[in-house]
Amino acid sequence: MITLGIDIGSTTSKCVLMSGGEQIIASSLRIGGLGTEGPAEALSDLWDRADIAPSDVSRTIVTGYGRNKYEGADGEVSELTCHALGGRFIFPDLRTLIDIGGQDAKIISLSEAGRMSNFVMNDKCAAGTGRFLDVMAGILRMDIDELDECAAQSVSPASISSTCTVFAESEVISQLANGVSRPDLVAGICESVASRVSALARRAGVVPRVCMSGGVAKNGAVRKALSESLGVDIDFDPMAQYFGAIGAALYAHRQLQKLSDNK
Amino acid sequence: MVQDLMKKFHEAAVSPRAQMDKYMAEGKKIVLTAPVYTPEELIHSMGFVPMGAWGADMELNRSKEYFPAFLCSIVQSILELGIKGAYKGASAIVIPSLCDTLKTLGENWKYAVDDIKFIPMTYPQNRKPDYGIAFTKAGYERVIRDLEALGGKYDPAALAESIRVYNKHNAVMRRVDEVLAVHPEITAAERSDIFKSAYFMTKEEHTALVEEFLAELGEAGEEKIGIVVSGILTDAPQLNQIFDEFGMHIVADDVAAQSRQYRTDSPEMDDPLEALAVKFANMDNCSVLYNVKKPRVQWIVDTAKARGAKGVVVVMTKFCDPEEFDYVMIKKACEKADLPLALVEVDRQMVHFEQVRTNLETFRDMLTM
Ligand code: SF4
Repeated sequence: MITLGIDIGSTTSKCVLMSGGEQIIASSLRIGGLGTEGPAEALSDLWDRADIAPSDVSRTIVTGYGRNKYEGADGEVSELTCHALGGRFIFPDLRTLIDIGGQDAKIISLSEAGRMSNFVMNDKCAAGTGRFLDVMAGILRMDIDELDECAAQSVSPASISSTCTVFAESEVISQLANGVSRPDLVAGICESVASRVSALARRAGVVPRVCMSGGVAKNGAVRKALSESLGVDIDFDPMAQYFGAIGAALYAHRQLQKLSDNK
Repeated sequence: MVQDLMKKFHEAAVSPRAQMDKYMAEGKKIVLTAPVYTPEELIHSMGFVPMGAWGADMELNRSKEYFPAFLCSIVQSILELGIKGAYKGASAIVIPSLCDTLKTLGENWKYAVDDIKFIPMTYPQNRKPDYGIAFTKAGYERVIRDLEALGGKYDPAALAESIRVYNKHNAVMRRVDEVLAVHPEITAAERSDIFKSAYFMTKEEHTALVEEFLAELGEAGEEKIGIVVSGILTDAPQLNQIFDEFGMHIVADDVAAQSRQYRTDSPEMDDPLEALAVKFANMDNCSVLYNVKKPRVQWIVDTAKARGAKGVVVVMTKFCDPEEFDYVMIKKACEKADLPLALVEVDRQMVHFEQVRTNLETFRDMLTM
């Protein structure tokens, strides 16, 4: 049974094809989420990569911020549920998942058996989300993917005290004017995101094994700062951005199983 | 028939102005009652129609001339409606002193809305000892004087009768809460209408309508996911639509605008004003009713267990400090009792409920997967 999971986020669209709820057969990611060509492009990419025709797919589930507006799926599921399923698929002993997406951050706690037992969301404020990093990268005229490497060269990370993204923007500009080095500023920015998210994580409770998902998971500086602040190791998998889509494909598989069990 | 009655509840719930105009056309005078508790029995006994003023879902503009942004939107929208003339024709508004935000509402109302008299109702922090009861009674006496200035007449016999009317209404509301716990087919939106309409109808009319509804209610529908909802106000149509969409059945509520109003009756006493003050002393399990032991927290857990709820949803009115303070204890108690808990934040200005939807959808999955 082939299932398809589509994750339409606020800034990217991801697709994952799975076979039998066990094996990932293809995946794709495109910049552009809800309201853009992103989802269509990610899907067409997926078909280019997979040896499978759309008609071979038994069930499609869509998740993510844009799930309600997408019409080509058999059902939609909350991104938290999907991230939990996807995270547990990659890390079978996962207990805490920290997802920092383009516009929000979520912490999901899982029981030993893998059931979702608690979750908290930061959905009101750009601080502690990918958006904060985007804005800061913009001020520094850097590409978001360059932040990680730049932060690694920091000697003494700058302190960004403003919680508000708008105020932090002026703070960064004035620190630049005062001659603070770029690597120190970037490291400070990453630490600032980590500090907001670690406060959120503590509210949900942090039990190892801990991993990160979402686009910001790629940023090693944020991961390191988060790990130091929480005092736990934080695992990372190159598929971290796909957890939502993997979870959606797994959910689709579960539904098919349920349907066949009920027959 | 049930559907006809539901329509009546809905119409009253969504058109307070029409209800107000109807009563005024009958020659009655309206006294607005602000959250959370006011001596409605007293207002009723002095010949006025008490009507709830808990604000409305709207954009706030004028209220910002008086309030900073970080005050709860319920209070802000009450003032906004007052300034914009939505309550025009009302004789007075009784605003209790039950939280810091409400205290500022009264003060600002005096300046912002000069055609509707502000009547303060100052409650004591320690309401249970004798001196607390005497303080509450003195507060009621002040309300009496202010209502007399508007043409009302205080008569203890009339108050005793109004207390009977209100106790009867309390009983029918407690009954409907119990009955709805085993009727999942009555939606969250419909449940909200039943409770909300009580604010815009005389209690006599509302009691009769609820009694009729209870008599008409048929067989229970298919089981859904039982939840207990807690908070100040849960009347946003989008919120209730989400509960319904995800198959959630409210088996009990700890909502200030709903069941918290009806838990306590006034006792039978020779002096009905004293009885009303004793009622306030006996009230409990509410974020704005001071009690250092916080029995409310265990009340939520026990009620959820007794009604077979799968989880608790705390609907937090943004910037409501009394509720924010209690939340931490509620969370801990639910964790200890192995009772799943979700927290969603609402605001009278909220237009997009997508995050609430994601939150409750995930909670549904958590309870069912
Ligand atoms: S109790 Fe909370 S919601 Fe009610 S008026 Fe006070 S601050 Fe606002």
